[in-house]
Amino acid sequence: MRDLAKLSVPILVLSFVAALVFWAYPDGGAPARQIGIMLGWAGCGMLLASLVLVLREPRLAALLGGLENMYAWHHRLGMTAYIMLLAHPLLLAGASLPKAPREAWELLSPFSESWPVWTGWLSLLLLMSGLGATFAPRLRYQIRRPVHAALAVAVLAGLVHLVLLGIDEPVTPILVISSALLAWRFIREDWGIGASPYVVRSVARVSPNTVEVSLAPLGEAIAAKPGQFALIAFQSTRRFKGCREFHPFTVSSVDGVSGFRIAVKALGDCTRNIQAVEPGVPARVQGAFGEFLAESTPAPQYWIAGGVGITPFLSLLRAGKVDRSTTLIYLYRSETDALFVDELGAIAATQPKLTLLLRATGDGPIDPESVLPAGKEIGKGEFWLCGPPPMTKTFAHFLRTRGVTYRRMHFENFGPL
Amino acid sequence: MRKIYLISTVVFWILVGGFWLAGLSAPKTLAETETPVQKGYTLTDVAAHATPNNCWMAIHGKVYDVTAYLPDHPSRPEIIETWCGREASLAYDTKTKGRRHSETADRLLEGYFIGELK
Repeated sequence: MRDLAKLSVPILVLSFVAALVFWAYPDGGAPARQIGIMLGWAGCGMLLASLVLVLREPRLAALLGGLENMYAWHHRLGMTAYIMLLAHPLLLAGASLPKAPREAWELLSPFSESWPVWTGWLSLLLLMSGLGATFAPRLRYQIRRPVHAALAVAVLAGLVHLVLLGIDEPVTPILVISSALLAWRFIREDWGIGASPYVVRSVARVSPNTVEVSLAPLGEAIAAKPGQFALIAFQSTRRFKGCREFHPFTVSSVDGVSGFRIAVKALGDCTRNIQAVEPGVPARVQGAFGEFLAESTPAPQYWIAGGVGITPFLSLLRAGKVDRSTTLIYLYRSETDALFVDELGAIAATQPKLTLLLRATGDGPIDPESVLPAGKEIGKGEFWLCGPPPMTKTFAHFLRTRGVTYRRMHFENFGPL
Repeated sequence: MRKIYLISTVVFWILVGGFWLAGLSAPKTLAETETPVQKGYTLTDVAAHATPNNCWMAIHGKVYDVTAYLPDHPSRPEIIETWCGREASLAYDTKTKGRRHSETADRLLEGYFIGELK
């Protein structure tokens, strides 16, 4: 069922794009022109589908295989659409190139006196800069995020380009739907109108740079399960400066109708601010999302956590007993970075099927062989990994060499949403 | 993905530069190299070519056989095909609200010129 939900995105996108290309298939003209037109429509269809995939609605996410799956497809579709839309004007102009090179350039040239050409170029340049910002890690987040959001304008400019070419059917309704989707994302989700109101109930410091924040609902509580994450925007008060935007945090404890807890490590500007959060600070919450630890097989379970990546495992342990053979390997740089170790020890003492392995790794890279059992035993296991990307990458590579398939490896993986 | 983005963007701009150079080095457009035909037609002659497979149009006193161009026109086929066999100056001058076709379109059109309107 989960696999089917994950396939729902490519199936739906493929159907939508195929329908658009079928409708717009040109009857005649040079082959380069025909391919150019089809690529333009296919790229347009993929961008429209990627707009649906940025909606952060729990029910929609459950239907489409989870928010991580939606975002992975959002990125894949965006990149594929970009390449297709780059090829689109080149092929249209290329169709005239052998016979009339000057006319080919005039068709492509942004200096042509033509609104359809200008809006086409505007759309392409916005796509280029929006994607460029995504791939520029040195660019400050405060700049990168709005430039990435300019991709929304690129989609609208592309649709206006089509309307100006006289293709108002079915583009006009698509333009209306796209504007509605963007408004939904920006007003309901980025501004938090659709989010649930919460308040900080208590704050506990668990390490010099990590706090555990308990949140209580002011209205209807979100339905969070262990292993899931929520998008949270802490609001500013007189004494506390909120981040003004939603950040993903893994739930560290599900407290039923009375709320949930999250562990926040100071890793960036926003999470540094949250270290000073106080009881009474209002917050808006969207979610919960994610399927990490949701379904496991009867195979021996290996939970591999690094640093603050312990939170999804902690939330599951806090929720109840461990009913199958489970080894929790918790890695941290030094004792001061270790979170909840006393509580983990206390839980392990009461759970006969849980084996707890704590390991301070120091600054160097971790050798997976030093913490995983030798022999063929691990080939039968199921692995759940949550931690810094270099750590999870090292373990995934090692597990592959020991015959563990990616199907039996699960990652908690979410970036900026 | 970053690598794909960089490669595709660089290739795109190289090809755009290639089109620019090819356009710059081409001495004359297709229209300019064609030998002008000085034949005259009436609107009745034009009206005899009113199908997408045989499409003439009269625009600003000149007659064009745009049959070969129809599949290349960017808009929906019905938009241009309704003007086959007719005096189409008004349509040509009002592509978008109050805005005529571009100079590029003018040059493109010249390639399909077959005679003067009598």
